Amino acid sequence: MSGEILGIVLRRIAVAIPLMLLVSILVFVVLRLIPADPVAMSVPPNATNEDIEALRREMGLHLPIMHQYAIWLGHILQGDLGKSIAFGQPVFTLIGQSLPATIELAVFGALFATAIGLPGGILLFRLRGRPSEQVVDVGSTLMMSIPEFLWALFLILVFGVAFNLLPFAGRLPPDMTISKVTGFLLLDCLLTGNLTAFLEAIRHMLLPALALALGTVPLIMRLLRSSLLDVIGEDYVTMARLRGVPERRVINRHALRNALLPTLSLMGVQFGFLFGGTLLVEVIYSYPGLGNLMVEAVRNTDLPIIQGAALVFALAVLTINLVVDVVYIVVNPKLRRAR
Amino acid sequence: MSLLALNDVTVTTEAGGRQVDVLRDVSLAVGRGELVGVVGESGAGKSMVGRLIAGMLPKSFAASGGSVTFRDRDLLAMPPRERTGLLGDAIAFVPQHPMTSLNPVLSLGAQFDEHLKRLGQDGKAARRERALAALDSVHLPRPADLLGRFPHQLSGGQCQRALIAMAFAGKPDLIIADEPTTALDVITQARVMELIDELQRDSETGLLFITHDLRLAAGHCQRIAVMYAGEIVETGPAAALLGDPLHPYTRSLVAANPGIDGPVRRLAALPDHMPGLSGFADLPGCRFAPRCPVRDEVCATARSPLTEVAPGRFVRSGGACRQVKTGATEQAALTAVTLDSAADPILSVDGLGKTFRSGRDWLGRRRAPVVAVDGVSLDIAPGEFVGLVGESGSGKSTVARLLLGLETPDDGRIVVDGQDITGPFQRTAKQRIALIQMIFQDPQSALNPRQRIGRLVTQSMEVRRPPASWPERLERARDLLGQTGLPEDTIGRYPVQVSGGQRQRVNIARALCTAPRVLVADEIVSGLDVSVQAQILNLLLDMRARMHISMLFISHDLSVVRYLCNRVAIMNRGRIVEQGPTEEVFRAPQHDYTKALLAAVP
Amino acid sequence: MSPVSAVGTASVASEHPLRRALRSGRVAVGGSILLVLLFCAVAAPLIAPYDPNEQDLLNALKGPFWTDTAAPGFLLGTDNLGRDTLSRLIYGTRVALFVAVCAAVGTMLFGTALALLAGYFGGVVDWLISRAVDLWMSFPPVVLSLILIVGFGVGIGNVILAIILVDWTRFCRVVRSEVLVIRRQNYVDAARLSGFSHLRTMLREVLPAAAPLIITLMSLEMGIAVIVEAILSFVGMSVEASIPAWGVMIADARNYMYQSAWGLILPILAIVTTVLAFNLLGDGLRRTFDARLQQH
Ligand SMILES: Nc1ncnc2c1ncn2[C@@H]1O[C@H](COP(=O)(O)OP(=O)(O)OP(=O)(O)O)[C@@H](O)[C@H]1O
Ligand code: SF4
Ligand SMILES: [Mg+2]
Repeated sequence: MSGEILGIVLRRIAVAIPLMLLVSILVFVVLRLIPADPVAMSVPPNATNEDIEALRREMGLHLPIMHQYAIWLGHILQGDLGKSIAFGQPVFTLIGQSLPATIELAVFGALFATAIGLPGGILLFRLRGRPSEQVVDVGSTLMMSIPEFLWALFLILVFGVAFNLLPFAGRLPPDMTISKVTGFLLLDCLLTGNLTAFLEAIRHMLLPALALALGTVPLIMRLLRSSLLDVIGEDYVTMARLRGVPERRVINRHALRNALLPTLSLMGVQFGFLFGGTLLVEVIYSYPGLGNLMVEAVRNTDLPIIQGAALVFALAVLTINLVVDVVYIVVNPKLRRAR
Repeated sequence: MSLLALNDVTVTTEAGGRQVDVLRDVSLAVGRGELVGVVGESGAGKSMVGRLIAGMLPKSFAASGGSVTFRDRDLLAMPPRERTGLLGDAIAFVPQHPMTSLNPVLSLGAQFDEHLKRLGQDGKAARRERALAALDSVHLPRPADLLGRFPHQLSGGQCQRALIAMAFAGKPDLIIADEPTTALDVITQARVMELIDELQRDSETGLLFITHDLRLAAGHCQRIAVMYAGEIVETGPAAALLGDPLHPYTRSLVAANPGIDGPVRRLAALPDHMPGLSGFADLPGCRFAPRCPVRDEVCATARSPLTEVAPGRFVRSGGACRQVKTGATEQAALTAVTLDSAADPILSVDGLGKTFRSGRDWLGRRRAPVVAVDGVSLDIAPGEFVGLVGESGSGKSTVARLLLGLETPDDGRIVVDGQDITGPFQRTAKQRIALIQMIFQDPQSALNPRQRIGRLVTQSMEVRRPPASWPERLERARDLLGQTGLPEDTIGRYPVQVSGGQRQRVNIARALCTAPRVLVADEIVSGLDVSVQAQILNLLLDMRARMHISMLFISHDLSVVRYLCNRVAIMNRGRIVEQGPTEEVFRAPQHDYTKALLAAVP
Repeated sequence: MSPVSAVGTASVASEHPLRRALRSGRVAVGGSILLVLLFCAVAAPLIAPYDPNEQDLLNALKGPFWTDTAAPGFLLGTDNLGRDTLSRLIYGTRVALFVAVCAAVGTMLFGTALALLAGYFGGVVDWLISRAVDLWMSFPPVVLSLILIVGFGVGIGNVILAIILVDWTRFCRVVRSEVLVIRRQNYVDAARLSGFSHLRTMLREVLPAAAPLIITLMSLEMGIAVIVEAILSFVGMSVEASIPAWGVMIADARNYMYQSAWGLILPILAIVTTVLAFNLLGDGLRRTFDARLQQH
């Protein structure tokens, strides 16, 4: 059994590799369409034409595009994502500094989304056929109409500006510093034994993580509800009732376990999107993560950072999908081979 | 006192804005250790009886009169909690679809354990012992191994055996089995019925067996109740009821059933079909009146009581049927078709083969290739009906799809009327469309719900060169509807607006539009009720007489094949294992598989 | 199959689906809001009290009329440059609706065409298209649209193009699985046996069956397009600076939210209302069509 699952996982990884390669081609080609000349932007205003030409050669821009791609890919595989035009630092370092913050934020966002979405879905299902269902339903449509970046602003207005309950800038109060061990702030706080900082970090993370979660919650709720509605009409649910299994157990043991499977596989896709949602949320909360880095780079047309960040985002999505697929495979006995 | 007794139960709901009695004055009794059959067409209310006893009537359905006594208590007056407490314990159920009736994410062992725990068995080990014993009692080999399996790892027959084991595990007083074998293959069906017989014989359990198959019920039950449109029209001992049906409906049911032996006579088909739920409200008197061959004036308004006409035999008779004497209905003998044996075959198939190599599942696991059709050779003479018989999965449908070009064969040749049409569809479309057409199994899925019937039946004229004008199409449509016995006003209707039997006629009309020489009919009567099935079978016979058309008639039902086909080919695992004149094959089967099939016919 | 359904549905089937859709509260509410918005977009020059770019620095950061900081003549207040918020909101509907409609039509055409090909032909075609979808889905949509906009440059046409190139997968995935289901219906085979070409079969038999889903998805897609445009304007990567867009208003107002929260709240409400209207419409349509499908 476990050998079989291991094989499947390895195969999933094998599928992800050519996909990643294609992703890199896509990123490279699209960003070559850029109308602004990256060279012109990275030289001082008083540079001569010769200077520019020299830089062009240095950057390999005179070569055919596939050749350029090959060089670029070769560098990437050695961990060299180029140098930021704006900061002059290696992109790899910059990304390495900002990625942990984003991962932390996304993980918390996903946890919140699950913690709110699943019970919410069950609630929606329980209300079926009652008058209050319509109300909750329109409510969930309203929630669906609010993307995470508007939630982010809204939460700031309510909890930050109006009631001044929670902080909404950065990861820690400005006067607090934590020595860096892993880059994951919460972990570092614990490792250094600084509990005050830990609580502060959590407080700082609440609003952005909640904003991320709220963008995903209505989807999870609705999917779980509709899966439950599908499942409740299945023969095995009727049969369980006919065996005298109490209704509560019919729902919790027989219906829910089956309905969670399709919900789970949708959550994979949604968490991928959620990871992308960090982009705007980080900008709005001045959160020093990958999204902030990328938006900054987009504003500066800092090509190496844009490319590097885009690749990391794609890699993250593929990883999330892989993880969710593996969980799905492990918990779904229907995928085990017939004996 | 009977174990279970329904006394004049009426179940009411609302349909089309009116109160409708889904069940009207139903009375029925099951004694301890007795096996009672409830027989009727789909929509007659058989399953409603089971749901009533289970206390699981659909929303907006409610019992509005009568009582259901079980062990001397009225179930209808019992508090819901207590009633639920009976389920699985005193009253157990065997479902129609075994494959989907077990929870796919729980192992068989887990489901057994849950059930036995609910029955009050303490101790996990003890429960396991009992589960093993139960599986053993239904003759499932290696029960310990089975307990660890998930439902998708079992076959339909195994699932049903397991479910039967669960039903009997609590030594219930009553078991309700609603079409327990309908979803199974003929041979498996026979074995499961044997098993039910055996388990029931050794116990005190009363069994209510719900089925659409009169013969099957007669073969296993002591008593039978026949239902029509929510009423019981006749009950009595099985043998007497089948041998000497008294109510006009029962008589027509028997006369519409093609037999597996005895002389082949033309089926007596009732006109029309049983009304739907909302139609019940328009039938205040005898609900059978619109279709009854012997009705008189009083029938439409007078309700007739269920009266005892002989010891243990009750008939609901009020009108002319009261006077009808016993005895078989007149059925004309079928005139045998004479085939021109010297003529070249109209369809000739030689060494047809098809293997599906469906790459990988989404986990990237390679699927084993399926040899669906393996060296099939078959000839059909002009005007000949050939039956192709086999279990589900034996490759019958694939043969049909190969003949029509919906799949391309790996080997073999297909020749129709001297023209080789083996190649891929695009290249041979022109010849095929004019020569060979298909009638699909499920008329629901074969008719585009968004198009009117007039357009559907003349679909092939739409792409004719030169294009057909709309008046031309209308005329052809009228002609085709006439040929298939459909009223002319169906021309402007949508498929949902006609009955199931009429839909199948539309399906046939469409296949006839290009005036093909050969029809391929894939299980076209398997979804129909007996009386409607008889209509369609007679229509096909008339078509043969009139148009001299040939047909490959695919079916799993041997009696239907015997009624319709001159020759029969038996298919098993992609191969034709035996073929010959129908009577000969049925009288003296050579191949073991054919023998098993014949033995399984109820 | 059973005669019950045959009798029961005859009357329902005769009612025009459009009329039934209008009876749904969701469709009515969503549709009405959209009609109002459409009117604002078309008649913006007539109904807006000011030119959206007209600055009045003496009246900067004023609140709406019900607040203490209100200034006469500026119904919903002003932004940091003293531009009239109401006028900017009204002109903002133009960008939002234009992008919504164009992008939704574009994604629909592109996504549906590929979905039809993939679902109908299966095999290699399906494999290729499905892998392309996988590839696209490896990017979070926001990230991909940002990359595309960086590549294409700003401007309303490029925004629309970027949305189409990002969101066709959403359509393609959903419609493809629908087509796979329809393809299994025997009437598709029957059409082939009647001599229909592949193209005719797709257009006459498959596409109409998928149409309800496609219409629903389009409505939802318009809402998504409004959001994506707002996001891009928010980071300054959408339309030229002189064109008023809700996302730009949000970005401007964010820096002054302590002085005037309403400058931030109002454009947020505008976006949410628009998206909600599209979602209500889509939801309502889906329900009407679902009820219809149950009968078949
Ligand atoms: N498109 C396909 N891809 C893979 N396997 C297929 C395909 N079509 C049929 N098969 C397999 O071919 C075998 C024969 O199938 P076929 O549908 O012809 O059986 P049948 O006798 O007509 O069954 P039924 O009575 O259930 O209609 C089965 O094992 C089936 O699973
Ligand atoms: S009561 Fe009348 S209609 Fe009914 S079965 Fe008897 S004769 Fe026929
Ligand atoms: Mg078949």
